Amino acid sequence: MAADGGGLDTVHGTECPTCGASVGETDRFCETCGAGLFEGLVPASSAQPPAPAPAGQRWLTSTGAPDACGGCGGTAFGPEGYCDDCGQRRPAGRNHSELDLGVIAAVSDLGHRHRHNEDAVAIGLLPGAEAAVVCDGVSSSTRPDAASYAAVDAAAEALLRALADGDEPEPALTVAARAAQAAAALAAGAEPGNNPPSCTFVAGVVTADEVSVGWVGDSRAYWLPDRDGDPAVLTADDSLAGQLAAAGVPLAEAPQGAQAGALVRWLGADARDTAPHLVTIRPDGPGRLLVCSDGLFRYRPAPAELAAATPAGTPIDTARSLVQLALDAGGQDNVTVAVLPYPAPESSQGATG
Amino acid sequence: MSEPAAAFTAEVYQNQYLPAGGDVVDAVITVTASGAGLRDVGGTPSAAEVIMIDCSGSMANPPTKLSEAKKACATAIDSLRDGVSFAIIAGRHDAQMVFPLVATLAPATPANKAAAKAAVQNLLAAGGTAIGQWLSLANTVFAGHPAEVKHAIMLTDGRNQHETAEQLAATLRNCERRFICDSRGVGADWVASELRTVASTLLGTADGLEDPRELPAAFRAMTEAAMGKAVAEATLRVWTPAGATVRFVKQAFPQVEDLTPRRTQVSARIGDYPTGAWGAESRDYHLSVQVQPGTVGEEVLAARVSLVTGDSVLAQSLVLATWTDDTALSTKINQRVAHYTGQAELASAIQEGLAARDAGDVETATSKLGRAVQLAEESGHSDTAKLLGRVVEVIDAPSGTIRLKPKVAGVDAELANVRSVKTIRVKKSEEG
Ligand SMILES: [Zn+2]
Ligand SMILES: [Zn+2]
Repeated sequence: MAADGGGLDTVHGTECPTCGASVGETDRFCETCGAGLFEGLVPASSAQPPAPAPAGQRWLTSTGAPDACGGCGGTAFGPEGYCDDCGQRRPAGRNHSELDLGVIAAVSDLGHRHRHNEDAVAIGLLPGAEAAVVCDGVSSSTRPDAASYAAVDAAAEALLRALADGDEPEPALTVAARAAQAAAALAAGAEPGNNPPSCTFVAGVVTADEVSVGWVGDSRAYWLPDRDGDPAVLTADDSLAGQLAAAGVPLAEAPQGAQAGALVRWLGADARDTAPHLVTIRPDGPGRLLVCSDGLFRYRPAPAELAAATPAGTPIDTARSLVQLALDAGGQDNVTVAVLPYPAPESSQGATG
Repeated sequence: MSEPAAAFTAEVYQNQYLPAGGDVVDAVITVTASGAGLRDVGGTPSAAEVIMIDCSGSMANPPTKLSEAKKACATAIDSLRDGVSFAIIAGRHDAQMVFPLVATLAPATPANKAAAKAAVQNLLAAGGTAIGQWLSLANTVFAGHPAEVKHAIMLTDGRNQHETAEQLAATLRNCERRFICDSRGVGADWVASELRTVASTLLGTADGLEDPRELPAAFRAMTEAAMGKAVAEATLRVWTPAGATVRFVKQAFPQVEDLTPRRTQVSARIGDYPTGAWGAESRDYHLSVQVQPGTVGEEVLAARVSLVTGDSVLAQSLVLATWTDDTALSTKINQRVAHYTGQAELASAIQEGLAARDAGDVETATSKLGRAVQLAEESGHSDTAKLLGRVVEVIDAPSGTIRLKPKVAGVDAELANVRSVKTIRVKKSEEG
């Protein structure tokens, strides 16, 4: 389905590359599965003029609007976006999303305890580069999914654009985080209030010879080598516990509980310190980068445990089985994981066709 | 859907944050019809006016009561705009047409106005008081007339002694939603609870006038307000989510009016509450909804409140609920909600205190009226504080320490009672 050439054409008039449902010519997102329907770069706001997209680039996002109310399953919503029956706000995204570009993939799920999926994920491919962004809405904030969904799309777009423009992964991740912060802050609207929409941010870029990650908050990226070396968590949580861990206290021994887990950095209208932490590694051999929300790693926080629980297989199968693991373990939170194999193929032609 | 002539706005004041497990959402909705939009004539509804004037024997004692009532009636007739239809009823132990002579409405032509004023001048005071009879005749006069705004003025100087409370209640049920009625008492012998019952059921206002010379101005004000109505009948439409219960809907300003029992079910989720006719004015409503508690971070629409006339939504606003574990947010008190909770308590403290006083229950009367003095002081309701000062001796207002006055003119207690429902708005400076 995906065209070889780039350009701004939607995959229109035919069918969704993710789920196969038929889609309208001007749809930005698949009505059925919510996947983004764009080839190439798409302006986050229609006010921006479309930029030329490089060849071979495409991305998918979990942020399409769902059809049904998360509270009662009703499908009628008032003009302000509240369910006509139970009053719940229409969630920004679907309860379950599967994004599959073949080479890379991601799965996001509501979990068992939450009413909305406040995690958002986007994945994208360029010749020689794979990228993923995960944002997790901070559930103590107002309308957290408004922040995470806006941030993930803005970040994915900015990240792919910067990489396509020839930026190195770390500067591109910085640009992406900045775009995510701007979008999360805007999600608060004209009157942000005391507790505006907030989210975490973690993004990864895999190239032919490097793996780079950038983050704000407590979502994580793990490096899982196929053979050589040890699995590692590349990020350090922006939480009290994470700061202890970064100071040398082993992760497994870091204190648990709400206090220790309290976020010290996030994105949103009330966030002050939003520059991403950046880490780049040059692995000795092939492996996989997992970019995920705490709904997954809370069940396997240690890198070795997570590596042991991560099956070999296609990226989409791997992502599905990791999400299933979290659900089987209780699914306390929204669960999201993106799987990016290293090294990235020289071109993205191996993606779904 | 016709375009309404009036410009309406609805604003919500609430603390939308609830603690985990919290399930009660309170909000004050301020509905305002602005003068600018209302001046766009063409949409002005047609109107009809009926004046019921007490002609019982006591109106001659002192004679200024009847003479000022006649003047007031003439003033009201002069205030009727062309094209309005009207009638005058004399009220005694029965009701009689004064103008026109048959039970119908006459157009307010110059000739009819002059004839009506002449007929009023000839009225004599003799007989008793049966308010239900008067209202019943007014209902007959209005019936079948096409006017959109049907407004009546009922003036009495005494107790409704020639019929039972049940008879009056039955008549009021027949008149409800047929016409609007403002009730006024003059002299020293009217009964506040009767005036309030009439005004409350018929969506009008109630008041007492100490000096008969105030009558002409009061009649002019009521008639002009009726002539200024731009929307003949509007209802407050409240949508609440599945599993929610409306705890109450009260008009909170300019006077307290509990609308909760007057709900008309529109659908499973929607109920309508009557608000009567609207001119250029602003009213506040206090809505309290019990919802299903949500999880922390969740936001639900707890109510959608609209002012509706026919098929037109004049104004609409949303009442939200968001659960949070931030106690700084969930414990914050909305000033307007707190203010009107206090004003409603003030009204019932006065009514219950005066009732206890009449029943000889000094202890309850002292406690209730003391609380009323305290609430009036706290909210800065100086008019009510002054009226209470005529019934009780205030020892310390902030603590509500009072003594019942041994001798109180009957009219002072009735005035305090009839005006107990009048509220004031929270001062802007007090809102944070
Ligand atoms: Zn689809
Ligand atoms: Zn629903």
